[in-house]
This record gives sequence, C-alpha cells and structure tokens, in this order.
Amino acid sequence: MESLERFAPRETTPAESRAALAEDIPPPLGHWRLAAGDISLLIERRALWVGALLLLALLVASLAYLALGTERLAPPVVWRALVGQGDPVATFLVQELRLPRLVAAWLTGAAFALAGCLMQTLARNRLATPGIIGIDNGATAFAVASVVGLGTSLAPPAMALVGGATAAAITFGLASGGDTRGYRFIVAGIGIGAMFGAVTQLLLAQIDIDSANAAYPWTVGTLNARTGGAVLALAGGCAMGLPLALALARSLGNMRFSNAIAQGFGVPLRRRRLQVLSLAVVLSALAVAVAGPVGMVGLIGPEIARSLSSSRSVPLIASALAGALVMVLADLVGRLLLAPIELPVGIVTAIVGGPWLLWILLRPSRNPA
Amino acid sequence: MMLLLVLLAAMVIVSLMLGAGEVTPGRALAVLAGHGDDEATFVVGSLRAPRTLIGIFVGISLGLAGALLQAVSRNPLAEPGLLGVSAGAAFAVGVALWLGASAATLRIAVGQVGALLGCLAVLSVVRLRGMGGDPVRLVLAGAAFSALLASLTSLLLLFDQRTADEIRFWVVGSLAGRRLEDLLAILPSLGLALGIIVVIARPLAALALGERVASGLGHHPGRVRLLVVLAVALMVGAATAVAGPIAFVGLVVPFAARALVGPDIRRALWICLLLGPLMVLAADIISRLVVAPSELPIGVLTALIGAPVLVAVVRARRLPTL
Repeated sequence: MESLERFAPRETTPAESRAALAEDIPPPLGHWRLAAGDISLLIERRALWVGALLLLALLVASLAYLALGTERLAPPVVWRALVGQGDPVATFLVQELRLPRLVAAWLTGAAFALAGCLMQTLARNRLATPGIIGIDNGATAFAVASVVGLGTSLAPPAMALVGGATAAAITFGLASGGDTRGYRFIVAGIGIGAMFGAVTQLLLAQIDIDSANAAYPWTVGTLNARTGGAVLALAGGCAMGLPLALALARSLGNMRFSNAIAQGFGVPLRRRRLQVLSLAVVLSALAVAVAGPVGMVGLIGPEIARSLSSSRSVPLIASALAGALVMVLADLVGRLLLAPIELPVGIVTAIVGGPWLLWILLRPSRNPA
Repeated sequence: MMLLLVLLAAMVIVSLMLGAGEVTPGRALAVLAGHGDDEATFVVGSLRAPRTLIGIFVGISLGLAGALLQAVSRNPLAEPGLLGVSAGAAFAVGVALWLGASAATLRIAVGQVGALLGCLAVLSVVRLRGMGGDPVRLVLAGAAFSALLASLTSLLLLFDQRTADEIRFWVVGSLAGRRLEDLLAILPSLGLALGIIVVIARPLAALALGERVASGLGHHPGRVRLLVVLAVALMVGAATAVAGPIAFVGLVVPFAARALVGPDIRRALWICLLLGPLMVLAADIISRLVVAPSELPIGVLTALIGAPVLVAVVRARRLPTL
C-alpha cells in the first residue's frame, strides 16, 4: 500500500514526478541511468562492455594487420610509420599500402554486418542476410555490367546500388503476401541470387580473358581490387548509415516481435520496414562495390554480436564492430596463409562461414528463426 | 511421348547445324545428307557430334538423378546441383586435376566417389535430423554445403595456374571441346546406373506409398535407398566429370515431367529420359549462339532457366510432398 501512495499525489508537476520516479526507482538490472534534468538515458552495461571488448580486439587485429605481411614490422615501427616519423620504406608500406586496405576492411566489414543485422531483424530470420537472399549477387551483377561497359554512364557503386535494390525488390516482392519469416522466402532468395550469379558469369564471358581473369577475384570477394571512389562512397554510406540505424534501433527492437505486438508498441510498420530495407540495401551494395560479395560477413558478424550481447536489444554497434573484426582477420589470414599467393577474402569467409551456416541450420531442436 | 521424341530429334539436328565457325547450317545439312565438303564433315562429325552425344548423356544422367533423388527423399526440391552432390563431384575432380590426373576414366571414377560422398552427406543429414519433413530447409543446408565445396574448389584454382586453366571453364559447366573418349569413358557407368534404375523402378513406386506399404509388398526400403544413392552417384559423378557441375537440370526436368504425367515415378522416369537431353541440348545451343563467336558456360543458362522454376516451386502455396 505504501508504494501505491507514493504514486498517488498529483500536486506535483509531471516533470517533478518523473524526476522523483527516476530517483526512487532503480534502473533496470544491468543498466545505468544517465539523467540530465528532464531527459534520462538508459545504458545497458553489458552492451558497453561488449562494445569496448570488440573495439579492443579490433584495434589489436588492426595493429597486427599493419605489422604483418611479406615484410614484417615491429609494432613500434608501425606506430612511428603511422605518425610519419619512421623510415621511408616502412612509412610507404604502412601508409600507402596497408592502411588504405585496412580502412576498406573496416568499412566493408561494418557495412556488411550492419546490413545483415538489419535484414535479420526485418525478416525475423537470422539466415535472411543480404548475401544469402541474393542482394549481394544483384549488386555484383550490376557492378560487373558497369565494368564490362553496359551502362558506362554510371560508376560501379551507383550500379551496385541499382542492382542491390533490384534484387531486394524482386525477393521481397515475391515474398509479399507470404511471410518473410519462413525458409521459403530464403530459398526463393537463393534462387534469385543464383540467377544474378549466372548473369555475372554471362557478362564476364563477354569480355576478353585477361579482363575476366582480373575481374574474377572481385566476383568472389577481395580487398585487393578496391578503388578510391568506391571506398569514399562506402565511407559516406557508413557515416550516414550508422546514425540512421541507431535512430531506428528502438523500432527494430520492437519489430522482433509479431506484427501485432510491434504495431501495439506504436511502430509504423510499413514505413519502418521500407526504411530498414533501404538502409540495408544501400550499405551492402556500397560494400559490394568495394570488396565484391563477401556476404558471409553479414551472417557471421551479427551472429558473434548476438552471442556476446544480451537479448534485450538489437546489437547494431556490436554487429558493426564484429563485422569489421571478422573482415580484418579474414583478410589478414588470406594475405598470410599461402603467401605470396593471396587468398581472396571472400573465399576465406566462405570456408569459415559455410560450416557455421550448416551448424545454424542443423542444430538439434532449437528454432533457428 | 512421341512429341518429345520428335522434339529431341529436331534438337539434335539443330545442335549439329549451329555453332561457331565458318560451317553454315546449309553446309552442315549437306553433311547429314551424305555429300558435304571436308571441312564441314570435320566440324560436324568430330566437333559437334561428340558434343551433342555427350549433351544427350549428361541430360539423361542429370534428369534421371534429379527424379530419383526427389522420389527417395520425398522432396520436390531435391536436386543434385542444389544439394551438393554435383559440388562434391566437382571438388573431387578438382583435387584430382590438381594432383595431376588427366586420364578421363580416372577423373570419372574420382567424380563418382565425390558424388557418392556428397549424396551420402545430404541424405544422412535428412535422416539424422529428421528434416525430411522440411524440404526447404534441406535445400538451404545443401546450398550452404555446395557453397563451401565451391569455395574450396576455387581455392584449388588459385593454387596453380595450370589447374586454373584446365578447370576455369569446367567449373561452371560446359560441353565445349569434349571428345569422343570422354563419352566412351562415361558409357559403362551410365549403363550400370540404367540397369539399377530398371531394377528399382517398381520398388521405388511402392515406396511412394509409404515405407510400411512398400515393406508389405515385399520390398526392402533400405536396400532401395542404397541403390538409388548408388545410381545417382554414378550418373552425377560421370556427368560432372565430363561437363562440370550443371545445376538446376535435375530440378526442372522432373518438375516438368510431373506436370506432364503426374506423380507416378515410373512414367516420370520415361519422360525425364527425353526431357533431360532436351533441356541440356537447348541450353547448350543457346550457349553457343548468344555470345558467338565465344561461348557461355552451359551452367549459366540452366541457372537462368532453373532459378525461376525453383522460386515457383517454393512459392507454391502447398509444397507437393512426394
């Protein structure tokens, strides 16, 4: 009864009573409350820890990425080269060769994984990442078309955007009416992906063999063939995409439930879906324009983030960090494993991600949706 | 049936008539009539004829293998290309090429072993996890399995340039440049597989009524399944070793056969026998023409034809259980 009376008095203004509530009621378990006057913010402690942990791992991996290669550099040498005080060779190696590629790895990994996380939440199926339902292949086909000479007026990143959007429209268009939750949607997406894959092959068959051989690694995913313009476009996409995703985070959290519940929470479902889908398509298409279809990162990154985070919210930042980490490590392994031969990062992630995917599918009893 | 036979005959003639090079359809027809010039005789007899024959046998193998796999797994989406059987064969052949094997017979034997392993992996997954009731999920697992094997195969491609040149075109599926020896090498195993099919057609039809009924009729479901796996491995392994992994033929052909004659496996197998070569030859002819004078891998065309069928099957309100 006593606790009820505390809510009863109505003489105070609403703002005062909210402040009083904030003082009296402890924040939910595992959260910190940051309060400034009328506004208070709940911060999940675990998310903070996970983010810090992933960031630390990413920094260590990045340092290793800069230090290792055909020419090994000690960490202090890397540091001096980074700040521009090392010897010219090391500075050239780090600043001109490895750092741009590292940045590309960060951006593509974060973009693929963030897009994967968004799409998984949207379709409520953890297998519904852009790589699996054909969006990456659509972007690849159109980007290759741009390279081959069809639609030359558009640069590869723009064409990749068009292609990704086309594939997404077809796949989700086919799913309209049906739900995107089930596996049928995903198999339909695989079919669309196979079709766009065939189109890519068709286009590659039309150019001379040297250009085809040059384009081949990119079609399986590599950071070796990136171009400055595409990286710049991706950087812009990430700079806009991450805040947008965070702005959508609250709705995303509610969209994990059934449509009725989400609408009950006040989520404007149709609009939000379109926003989330567009954001995911833009991020993955721009990443494809840089590195080719490394779709497995979109599956692995969010998976790692989810296993580390609590299930309260959609781990957007953790996904992006984990994706960047996976990409950096995969490319590092691809560079080192069979040196001087360089393994395309797409093959490394496929060899790691394939068994992972099978494991998700075949795990006994638990519903993988 | 007669109509299909006529269509197939027409397709064979078209396949002999068309193609890159100087030999026009008219000159090729003259060869067929028995009075062609030397160049045309060479092109038709030594280049296009083996290719057409191999296309026929590859089509028969893939079409029948698809029908058998679908019947035994009771899954309308079961397809050697999608489930990883072809990918298994392709990976095994890639390893063999990488290790330096060049003899056609050896390549085929290796391909069949790979196909057998792929087939067993897929079917054991169905049985162990009880996923027979969820056709779509099985395809997803198969796709993951294929993707894994495909990237391992492309890994081999990167290892050395010689292998790369040899399998670069083969790995997407192509009938270009196949010789008569390749055909002779696959004939024995194809004959064996056809023999097995003759023996198991009736039990397989009984199995469609359920295991109990089949056992009651005096058949052994386990034995039938084993023989099916063997026949599929023989056919897919041989076809893949010769032409590379060609996806979607085993999906589209039985799908069309069922649409034509209904679900009885015995009748469907007869239709597949004709439809398989028809589809492969048609795809091969288009692949020669569409970017002439260069060629498209035939796998590209079967994917373009097959993917919409896959989507249609998946989108069907009720997946037909077999």
